[in-house]
Amino acid sequence: MTAGIGAVLDPRAIRTTESAVDRLVAVHRCADVLEEIGAVERGYRPAMLERERLMSTWLGEGVAIPHGVDGSRALVRRDSLAVLRFPAGVPWDGGRVIVCVAIAVRGDGHLAVLSTLAGILLDPRRAAALRSSTDPAAIRAMLDPAEAVT
Amino acid sequence: MIVAVTVGSATGLHAREAARVAAVAASCPTPVWVRRDGGAPVPADSVLSLLTLAAPQGTELLLESASSSSLELVAQAIGAS
Repeated sequence: MTAGIGAVLDPRAIRTTESAVDRLVAVHRCADVLEEIGAVERGYRPAMLERERLMSTWLGEGVAIPHGVDGSRALVRRDSLAVLRFPAGVPWDGGRVIVCVAIAVRGDGHLAVLSTLAGILLDPRRAAALRSSTDPAAIRAMLDPAEAVT
Repeated sequence: MIVAVTVGSATGLHAREAARVAAVAASCPTPVWVRRDGGAPVPADSVLSLLTLAAPQGTELLLESASSSSLELVAQAIGAS
């Protein structure tokens, strides 16, 4: 039913030293990484920007989850996530985002990872650990449903 | 009171769907709680809480509220495809 972290989060898609002056630039960087790992067609980028324009993907606790609008699923080659950390923060719809978890999926294989992420964000201590982590392997382990501490 | 509802969205209760359901629940005057069978109830007006359910299409969820009208509104939102 749902895939583990190994299937959807390529280690190359975890970037811990990003910077962006605003939300628009941050979403572009998310699209850059998804394109670099071959997860999406080029048309997915405008679909992500459109989604962000229609409704902020800010989730809370300094985390946003940029993804494409409905109808852009056909532009996804391979269900993938990307994690971009912006240590200096990015102004985001009145708040500030440190971590973007970019999502490109056709199906529901990412729901377990999303659930794990939501569980982290509901726990201030774990949310702080996610925001401050500079170790891609640690970030990957945190988001892995199979390793999640509840 | 408690009602059962099946997740209608083809892509499950993902980010956008959870936000839609949470907005409906937040507009209800009475709190609504959602859980999987045997799971812990979470507030329906919290996007993060709904996401923890990891509910794909077809998942049966149990809703609980003191208000039948609130229950109905949230049930409709979750059941909508």
